[in-house]
Amino acid sequence: MSDQQQNRARLHREYDRVWGNWPGWGALAAVNHTSVGLRFIVTGLVFFLIGGVLSMLMRTQLALPEQDIIGPELYNQLFTMHGTLMMFLFAIPVLEGVAMYLIPKMIGARDLPFPRVGAMGYYCYLFGGLIILSSMALSIAPDSGWFMYTPLSSSTYSPGPGSDFWLLGITFVEISSVSGAIELLVAIMRTRSNGMSLTRMPIFCWYIMVMALMIIVGFPPLILASILLELERAAGFVFFEVAGGGDPLLWQHLFWLFGHPEVYISFLPAAGIVSTLLPVFAQRPIVGYRWLVLAVITMGFISFGLWVHHMFTVGIPQLAQAFFSLASMLVAIPTAIQIFAWLATLWTGRVVWSLPMLWILGFLIIFVAGGLTGVMLALVPFNWQVHDTHFVVAHMHYVLVGGMLFPLIAGLYYWLPHVSGRMPSELLGRWAFWLVFVGFNMTFLLMHVTGLLGMPRRIYTYQAGLGWDWLNLLSSIGGFVMAMGVGMLIVDLLLHFRFGRLAPRNPWNADTLEWAVDMPVTTYNFISLPDIGSRHPLWDDRQLPERLESGQGGLVEIQADRRVTWGSDAVTGQVREVVHVPSNSWLPLQTGVLLAVVCLGLLTKFYWVALGASLLALLVILRWSWHNGGHPLAAPLRDDDPQDPPLHSRTCDGPGRWGMLSTLLANGSLFACLLFGWFYFWTVSPQWQVPAQAPLSATPLLLAGLLLSAAALLYHRLTVRLCRGQAQGLAGGLWLCTALGLGHSLVILWLMLDAQLTPRSLAHDAVLAVMLGYLLFHGVLATLLTLLQALRVRLGYVGVRLPYEPMVLRPLWSYTLGVFWIALAGFFLMPMAW
Amino acid sequence: MRWRPHHPVHLILGLCVWSIWFVVLYGGLSVACQLTPPEPQQGPFNWLNVLLWLSTLVVVGLLLWAARVLWRAAPRAEQPLGRHIGVTSAGLYLVSAFSTLAVAMPVLFLPPCI
Repeated sequence: MSDQQQNRARLHREYDRVWGNWPGWGALAAVNHTSVGLRFIVTGLVFFLIGGVLSMLMRTQLALPEQDIIGPELYNQLFTMHGTLMMFLFAIPVLEGVAMYLIPKMIGARDLPFPRVGAMGYYCYLFGGLIILSSMALSIAPDSGWFMYTPLSSSTYSPGPGSDFWLLGITFVEISSVSGAIELLVAIMRTRSNGMSLTRMPIFCWYIMVMALMIIVGFPPLILASILLELERAAGFVFFEVAGGGDPLLWQHLFWLFGHPEVYISFLPAAGIVSTLLPVFAQRPIVGYRWLVLAVITMGFISFGLWVHHMFTVGIPQLAQAFFSLASMLVAIPTAIQIFAWLATLWTGRVVWSLPMLWILGFLIIFVAGGLTGVMLALVPFNWQVHDTHFVVAHMHYVLVGGMLFPLIAGLYYWLPHVSGRMPSELLGRWAFWLVFVGFNMTFLLMHVTGLLGMPRRIYTYQAGLGWDWLNLLSSIGGFVMAMGVGMLIVDLLLHFRFGRLAPRNPWNADTLEWAVDMPVTTYNFISLPDIGSRHPLWDDRQLPERLESGQGGLVEIQADRRVTWGSDAVTGQVREVVHVPSNSWLPLQTGVLLAVVCLGLLTKFYWVALGASLLALLVILRWSWHNGGHPLAAPLRDDDPQDPPLHSRTCDGPGRWGMLSTLLANGSLFACLLFGWFYFWTVSPQWQVPAQAPLSATPLLLAGLLLSAAALLYHRLTVRLCRGQAQGLAGGLWLCTALGLGHSLVILWLMLDAQLTPRSLAHDAVLAVMLGYLLFHGVLATLLTLLQALRVRLGYVGVRLPYEPMVLRPLWSYTLGVFWIALAGFFLMPMAW
Repeated sequence: MRWRPHHPVHLILGLCVWSIWFVVLYGGLSVACQLTPPEPQQGPFNWLNVLLWLSTLVVVGLLLWAARVLWRAAPRAEQPLGRHIGVTSAGLYLVSAFSTLAVAMPVLFLPPCI
C-alpha cells in the first residue's frame, strides 16, 4: 500500500470514528443527514404504498355501478385517508428527505447545520403518521375529506375521534415539515463550500430554497387552523360555529392558504430534480439558469395568490373571483418558462436516453396536460361547471402524479447508485415505467370525461345507465395496471441491491458535487472540503473526487473529535467560520416520544397525561439546549481553537441566528393568520357578536407592554455591547431582563384570569383567549431562555469569547415585543375605533 | 443597512410588494363591500374601483422604477455575481409590475360587490 493510500485509509478511519452512527439500537440516535434523509424517504414510500392500496380499494368499488363491496362509511374513510397519506405523509416528507440527503452533498458540506432538529423532525413525522394510521386500524379514521371542511368535521357532524386523529396527527407531522424546511434553508444560505456564490449554486438549491421558504410561510396557516378546530372540538371554543359569531368559511381560507401553495411545494423540488437531471443526460449546462431562478422565485410568490380558486362556489364577489382567476392563469407563465428551458436543453444537447430520462419524458407529457386543465379550472364559469366532479380529481392527479411522482422516480433511479453502489435494471425499470405511464393515463385521462359527464367526486357508488359505467371500469383497470407498474418498480429496487451491476464512480457523468463522495455513501460525505470556482465542478475538474478523498481540500484535520463543516457568506459563499455540529444523541428520539405521548393524551382525553408529557418534553428540550456552544459536551473554549476562520460559537452571527430568524418567520405567518381570522370575523362573520363591555382593561395592558419593552431594549443593548467585547454587567443585565420578562408574563396571566372571557359561547372571546395565550407563551419562553443565559454566563459558557447564544436569542425578544404591540393595536385599539 | 442595487434582497422585494398589494386589494375590496358597497347600477365606474385602480398604478409605477434603476446599475457591478443579482432582480421587478397590472385588469370591467 502506498503512502497516499495509507494516509487515505487513516483519514477514513478517523472520520468514521467521529461521524459514524452508533451500532445496533444506537442507530436510533443517529442524527447525520444521510441517515435521517434516507429514513424520511423509506418511511414516505411505505406510506405511499399504503395510500396506493386504499386507492385500489376505491377503484374496486367504483369499477361497476351499484356495487356494495365497500359501504359509504368506509368509503368516506378511504378517500380521506388516501388524500391525507399522499399529501401529508408521502409527498412533502419524501421530497424533504431527498433534499436533506442531497443538499449538504451538493453544496460541499458534511452535514446539515441542525442535525438533531432533523432527527427530531423525523420522529415527529413517524409518530404522527403512525397515530393517523392507527385510526384506520381501529376503524375510527377521519372521514370528512383530506381538507376537513367545517362544519362537516366539527363535533356536531363528526362526533367520533376521527377528526381529532387528523388534526393532532397532522399538526405533529407539520412540525416536522417546518423544522426540516428551516434546516434546509439555513444549510443552503450559510454552509455552502468556499467560493460557491449564489450564481454558482446548483439549480436544485434554488428550488429547495424557495420550497423551504414556502413551507415556512405556508404551513403555519394550517397549523393554526388545526389548533383552532381542535380547541373547538375538545374544549368547546367557538371559531367555526355561526351561532357564536364564528364562520366555517374561515377554515376554508386558512386551509387553502396552506393547501394551494402545498401543490407548488410538491412540484418545486420535483422540478428541481428535472432541472438537475436534464443537463446531465443532455451532457450540456442547463439553458437559461437565470430564467429558471426568476421563474422559481416568481412561482413561489404567485402561488400564494391562488387560494380562493378552490372557493369559487362559496359566494365571493365576482371581482374578487376575477383577481384569483387571473392570478391562477398567471402562474402558468413561470411554469412555462421552465418547460421551455428544459426543452431547449434537450434540443441543444446530445441526449442519453437512460432510465431516469424515460420518467422525465413521462413527467413532461403528463404535467403539461395537468397544467392545461389547471388553466381551464382557473376560468370561473368552467370551474363552477366541474366543481366537485371527477374532472377536478383527474386534474389534481395529473398535476401531482405528473409533477411530483414521475420526477421523484426519475430521481430515485438517478441517485440509486449513490446509496447502493449498484445500477438498477434497465429492463425491469422500462417495464415499470410503461405500466405506470399507460395505467395512469388510462385511469385519469378517462376520469376527465367522467367528470364532464357529471359524476361527482366522493360518491361511493352510482346508478347504471348514466354513461359513467364503461369509463369507470376502464379507469379501474388502468388503476390496477398502474399498481402493477409500481409493484415492478419495487421489485427492481429490491433486486438491484443484490443483483445490480456495480456502479462506477459518477456513473452518469454528472456535474454536481454529490457525485464526488464515496459510493455507497459515508456519513461525513467529504474527507476534505472543496473550493468552488464554477457551477459545474465535476465537469471542470474530473480529478476532484480523488483529490478531496486524499485530503487535498479544506478542513481536513479533526480537532477535539468535533464534527465540523464550513460556514460561509450567504451571497458570495466565502468561508466565514467553522460550524461545529452536534453528534449522535438520544434527545431527538426522547423529544419525539414525549410529544407523541402528548398527542395520545389529548386524543384519549387524559389531559393530565398530556400535561405531564408536555412538561417532560420541555425539560428534555431545555437539556438539549443546555448542551450547546461552550458547554463541555459541545465545544468548550480551548487554547488550540481555530482562529481564522473561528468556530461559529465564537462569533456573533452563525447558523443558529439564521435558524431563529427562519423560525420567527414561520411564527409570524401563524400570528398574521390569527390577526386575519380576527379581522375576518369582524367584517364577514354573519352573526358576529361583541360583548357589551370590553373584557380587557387598558392599564394592565400598557403596564405589560412597558415591562416587555424595557426587557427587550435592555437585552438588545446588552448584546450590542457583548459583540463589541464589553461584558461588564452582562450577568446582572440578563437577570434584570429575566425579572422584567417575568413581570410582563405575570401581568398577561393576571389579565387572562381577570378578563372573565366566555370562549365557549363567543367567537370574540375565543380569539381573544388564543391571542392572550400566544402572548403569554412568548413572554414566558423569552424569560425562561434568558434565565438560562444568565446561568450560563455564571458558568462561563457565555461571555466575551462566547457571545453567540445571546445573539441567537435576540430576535426572539424583538419578535415578542413586536407582536405584543401589534396585538394591542389589533385587539384593543381597533375595536374601540370600529 | 443600505440595500444597494446588487443586494440579494431585491430578488424578493418586488414580489413582496406584489403580495402586500394583493392582500390590500382583496382585503380592501372585501371590507369596502361589507361597509359601504357602491351601487351596483354604477357598474365598474365607482369610487371603489377608482381607488383600486389608482393603488394599482402607484404600485406598478414603483415597481417599474425599481426595475429601471436595477437594470441600469447592473453593468456597473464590480463582480459577475453583482451583475447576475442586479439583472435577475430587475427582471423580477418587471415580473412583479406585470403581475400587478394583470391581476388588476378586471377592475376596469367588473362592478366590485356583486
